[in-house]
Amino acid sequence: MQTKKECLAMLLAGGQGTRLGVLTEDVAKPAVPFGGKYRIIDFPISNCVNSGIDTIGVLTQYRPFELHQYIGNGQPWDLDRLNGGIFVLPPFMRAKSGEWYKGTANAIYQNIDFIDRFNPDYVLILSGDHIYKMDYDKMLENHKKNAADCTIAVLNVPLEEASRFGIMETDAENRIIDFEEKPKQPKSTKASMGIYIFTWDKLRRYLIEDEADKQSSNDFGKNVIPAMLRDRQRMFAYEFDGYWKDVGTISSLWEANMDLLNERSGLNMNDHNWRIYARNSAEPPHFIADGAKVYQSIISEGCVIEGSVGNSVISHGCQVGKGAVIEGSILMPGATVEEGAEVSYSIVGWEAVIGSGATIGERQKAAGEGEWKIAVVGPECRIQAGGKVAAGEMVSK
Amino acid sequence: MANNTMSILFASDSEGHLNELTIHRTTASVPYGGRYRFIDFALSNLVNGGVTTIGVVTRSNYNSLMDHIRMGRDWNLSRKYGGLTVFPPYGLNTLHEVYRGKIEALYSLRNFISSKKEEYIIVSNANIVCNVDLESIIDEHIAAGTDITVFTYLTDEINSRRTIITADADGRITDLRFAVGSDKREQLVNMQIYLCKKDLLLNLVENAYARGYVDFEKDILLSKLDSLDIRSRRIDSYVATIDDITGYYKHSMDLLDADVRNELFYSHGSILTKVKDSVPTRYLENAKVKNSLIADGCEIDGTVENSILFRGVKVAKGAKVINSIVMENGEIMENAEIKYTITDKNVKVQKERRLAGYESYPIVIVKDKIV
Repeated sequence: MQTKKECLAMLLAGGQGTRLGVLTEDVAKPAVPFGGKYRIIDFPISNCVNSGIDTIGVLTQYRPFELHQYIGNGQPWDLDRLNGGIFVLPPFMRAKSGEWYKGTANAIYQNIDFIDRFNPDYVLILSGDHIYKMDYDKMLENHKKNAADCTIAVLNVPLEEASRFGIMETDAENRIIDFEEKPKQPKSTKASMGIYIFTWDKLRRYLIEDEADKQSSNDFGKNVIPAMLRDRQRMFAYEFDGYWKDVGTISSLWEANMDLLNERSGLNMNDHNWRIYARNSAEPPHFIADGAKVYQSIISEGCVIEGSVGNSVISHGCQVGKGAVIEGSILMPGATVEEGAEVSYSIVGWEAVIGSGATIGERQKAAGEGEWKIAVVGPECRIQAGGKVAAGEMVSK
Repeated sequence: MANNTMSILFASDSEGHLNELTIHRTTASVPYGGRYRFIDFALSNLVNGGVTTIGVVTRSNYNSLMDHIRMGRDWNLSRKYGGLTVFPPYGLNTLHEVYRGKIEALYSLRNFISSKKEEYIIVSNANIVCNVDLESIIDEHIAAGTDITVFTYLTDEINSRRTIITADADGRITDLRFAVGSDKREQLVNMQIYLCKKDLLLNLVENAYARGYVDFEKDILLSKLDSLDIRSRRIDSYVATIDDITGYYKHSMDLLDADVRNELFYSHGSILTKVKDSVPTRYLENAKVKNSLIADGCEIDGTVENSILFRGVKVAKGAKVINSIVMENGEIMENAEIKYTITDKNVKVQKERRLAGYESYPIVIVKDKIV
């Protein structure tokens, strides 16, 4: 018998993230590198640890190997615990059957036994595709204070963007009256962040009912939450006002990386009270050579920079040759840009090589959110010397 | 058989002249190369070579060392069998005295050493910067049936703390002596890393201890040159034995050379160190950086040339860091300027201040000071 946990987290990390194209050909979206030395999944995991949640189930399905290896025993996040810790939960066979995770709710349903072992009062449901720092403990306090059955974290978004999100309509006490997925005429600006706290015995019952319904697509947003609303369960919105970004598209992934370079973006990584932990590689400090030029950029360990780097995020172990110019771009871990190549407004995947004199992407003036034409060179892809990848184009190995 | 070898590391070098840098710490925990401590090289070489039972002997000021190595997890040395064992000073004997030399220290560790199942032992100082393939050196030692292998290197940095080795064409050591003032040219020098059978070591140490001997080199090695097969194993890749400030400065600046970095960091496995979860370094609008080695977590808005910045260093707008070493969390404020200066951890150089040493005599600012 495991020690009882008041609240445990279930992290949905099984999605493919098709909109990230070549970046998620071989790895699941939560394993995609971010910000020079992190992976997207480091954010929800670190948030849990910083919020005092020490038991996390990570539900994997699509291309799980990289993610499993990355999480390991959870030591980089201090999650190698005697009681609790981090558990990787891929789909599994049962005595009589066995199936893939059909939807977000089904993934949790299939792991009811896992959750029951810890006998929790509450379960926090997270996804592995957002960049943000959030104290889940405050949200849990709110949930308890409201004696809620379900609390959904929401963010106020501009009205013109509201139709891209799941929108909550609430009363004066923040109790949710209505929920609409991507409404054409949004009735409010409170967008769901995909972060839910449920009282476990209540959620458990709804998961079993939802599973019994053959018409259901077994999804939290489409099925479980609407069903609970219909039954007038106590459901509350929890307002969050910090930095939050869905990095599900190339453009938004690029924007979130660029936000690291902008002090006013609200994404401050250098906060000693709220560290984002990551599995570290053992590399020496980076080297900036004679003749190099670096400004408005972040650069991680193990890099050797001999060219010019501006407004860019350079991950660990990258090489930028003499005369190469990197502008407004992201180099993922281990990427190499050879002499004289130009990389502008691009994402260069891990271990990719840009041959000398190649031209990747093009410089752009301001574009609206989600409208940047970012060139993407896939992981381990090699661009020939003098080659060209146009703005917004995506190439893979 | 590398995993048939254990090791004892000496964290303190009582003879060293690292002065200001060792006021607050052991030699082994002196910061080096932007994110490392000296002991990282010894530990990484051992671990990469399959040696995973390691005792670290301290003499004083071992707090910073403990803080750095903790339970050894960052070197994969937190293990059920073997792993890392740290011996604090005074813990060695019932007299509550700190050991005088390696012979006394090893004598008091005899139970620890003999209780381990490994057959061979490497005894080493912890101020040696190198990346060597220990596994093949151990294999050679065993295949040749050598009694004691002494690691050596060619250098013209000779001081009174070095022992000079004379070896014949087969590597057999024929003479060993302490350097004197006239020793200027390049010589074969003892790295103070020894490899031999555990039983032989314990036997030699007990006999020497019983006669009141203190000095390992003079009283054991020198006196046994004829009766034992003691051989030099010359290391031809990059080696630095760092025991004074000038040497510290010189060998730090060697890291600005790509060949040295490749030999040290990428030749036989990685150099491992304590993980600190710092963010990547941020370069702001006015940053002008060249020929410098820069660790994670820095914020640079000024000029940095021919320098080494450790983790979490801030260089403000208009500030200049030239030919200098700024250790962890150092802060060079607006329009301040430092040249040929080594600032220890947490040093702040205030606005408009200017500090300048010389290449042969860099200024050292002690830990936590505000200039």
